[in-house]
Amino acid sequence: MLRTGWMWKSAAFVLALALCGALPAAAEKLEDQLVIATTGGLMGNTLAKYFYDPFNKTKNVEIVPVAIEVPDQWARAKAMQRTGKVEFDIVTATGPDLVGRTDLLEKIDCAKLPSVQKFGVSDACQPYGVARTTGGMLITYNTETFKDKAPRTWADFWDVKQFPGPRGLPDTGDSDWWVPVAALLADGVKPEQLFPLDIGRAYKKLDEIRPNVAVWWKTGDQVQQIMRSREVVMAMSYSGRALAVVKEGVPVAMSWDQAIRDTGYMAVLKGAPDLNAAMAYLDFFYASSDAHVPFMRAVNYATASKSAIELLKPEERNLYATSPENYEKLVKPDFAWIGEHRNELRERWMAWLTR
Amino acid sequence: MTEARRSHFWHSDGRRLSGLSTLLLLLPFFAIIAFVFVYPILQLLVISILEPHPTLENYARVVENPVHMRVLMRTLWTATLVTALSVVLGFPVAYYMSRAKGTVAALVAVCVILPLWSSVLVRTAAWSFLFQRNGLINSALMALGLTSQPFKLLYTQSAVVIAMTHVLLPFMILPIYGALRSIPDDYGRAAAVLGATRLRTFLEVILPLSLPGVVSGSLLVFLTALGFFITPALLGSPQEMMISTLVSKQIREVLDWPFAAALVGVLTVFVTLLAIIFSKTLRFDRLMGNAS
Repeated sequence: MLRTGWMWKSAAFVLALALCGALPAAAEKLEDQLVIATTGGLMGNTLAKYFYDPFNKTKNVEIVPVAIEVPDQWARAKAMQRTGKVEFDIVTATGPDLVGRTDLLEKIDCAKLPSVQKFGVSDACQPYGVARTTGGMLITYNTETFKDKAPRTWADFWDVKQFPGPRGLPDTGDSDWWVPVAALLADGVKPEQLFPLDIGRAYKKLDEIRPNVAVWWKTGDQVQQIMRSREVVMAMSYSGRALAVVKEGVPVAMSWDQAIRDTGYMAVLKGAPDLNAAMAYLDFFYASSDAHVPFMRAVNYATASKSAIELLKPEERNLYATSPENYEKLVKPDFAWIGEHRNELRERWMAWLTR
Repeated sequence: MTEARRSHFWHSDGRRLSGLSTLLLLLPFFAIIAFVFVYPILQLLVISILEPHPTLENYARVVENPVHMRVLMRTLWTATLVTALSVVLGFPVAYYMSRAKGTVAALVAVCVILPLWSSVLVRTAAWSFLFQRNGLINSALMALGLTSQPFKLLYTQSAVVIAMTHVLLPFMILPIYGALRSIPDDYGRAAAVLGATRLRTFLEVILPLSLPGVVSGSLLVFLTALGFFITPALLGSPQEMMISTLVSKQIREVLDWPFAAALVGVLTVFVTLLAIIFSKTLRFDRLMGNAS
């Protein structure tokens, strides 16, 4: 009796200690609102349906979505930093942004995001961002033009004898390394030996394809439009944009071989007014695996949720970058190297493109 | 006397408004200009020489990097082409408008002004449909058997120049029309009475007197063309990139504001110089016109 009493007492003591330790964390109050900047349209609406509304219901935080293109978002973020009045909490970032724009971003403590650890793929949580959607920059081609033999690799993209017709390449966002990477792959460089990029060799190879590039597309809408209107027979495209065109019934197909991995991250701005709510949302995003499947079907991009991709049938899974079949075909860029050499890459790209 | 008339407002009974009321009338306009135009521009120029530290480095970068000079020169060249094309296409229309009477005159005026009511974006998009590989122009050429392969029309310098000329043409036609309208009919008649042929009347009387209109139209078109953004971005390839696209790239993608500010500084200097040169020529023409 005495012994059990002692045990209970010590157990109560330990419990009390644990509570004291846990209390401040639990009491970390979430702010009333959370401002999230993403591209609008389909992505914004679908996020609202599957993530913003449920988050609002369970955590009682009102989410204020801001529809904005990524470059404009960075310009605004920079302006906010200059004036000292930060208005966005969560922004959309690319892989190189997480390395090159750390001066604008809040560091993320992955240990405090248990759901991301539990349900996300191994590299979903990065020091400055949490993976939202993953796709690839891949070859999209017209299936009527290339009926008998389909182009698969970047070498095929460069091969205008075997696969004649006008090409489309991006002049937007990260094209300053996407396109040189494709050129090096076309020139026979092995994916694992890409980095550090041999820029001179890449541009030599790019000179070859240049006369055959009819369109340097600037937006996701435009790359879809040039595939529909047959302005080009083959283009480097965002996989999600290509998938949407495939679903429309346009005779185009995608090749995942040597697709360049393109992950969109959620990052938190330094000085974000609703920091606690922002971190809570990042964790919440991975907490509900069920929402990921309809979300992926709607936006045509995979999330980094391990559990969600397993819920899909193999033939559907193959439309997404993170399926086991496609994921190993992806070219994984070295963001640290790209981040460090960003100015050099950009200036070379601009000089070559405007020549 | 003319100076006084220019710089004052008048009561309906003919008394001159006091200096204070004139100032009050003008204040809102100048306040808006100062606040939304002069202040931000000055602030940008300040950034261009003070960041990252007081320096002219940003300007040196504009001049040193061949890309920027190339884009600047291309911008000036495109604006020149558009201006020249606008004069050639616009003058006959303006001339016809100034001679036409009644319904015809109204119809021509509507045709000239109507495009101004639709957005530049819509007009540019319309051109892109015409110029597409499978667009109207290529389909027509192929249907007529004039070509078997579609021409590359979209994303070329010609596409940009044609569409920009279309967008800016009214700004050329209207000032020329104004100048032509202000030439008294008697001048033409006098020339005819003195035995001049119609061609000679046109070349020696009408054309010189209409030059102020041509100059102000050219100024308007040229300066607007320098800052064009949407049309070259949608109809041109990166080779047709103009200075405003470059500035926006520096601000949106590279986030290098001091450098973007330096680009704006260079463009501002160019535009100001050109405006001064143009306005001097304009006065000169007026003097010549008055003297003869």
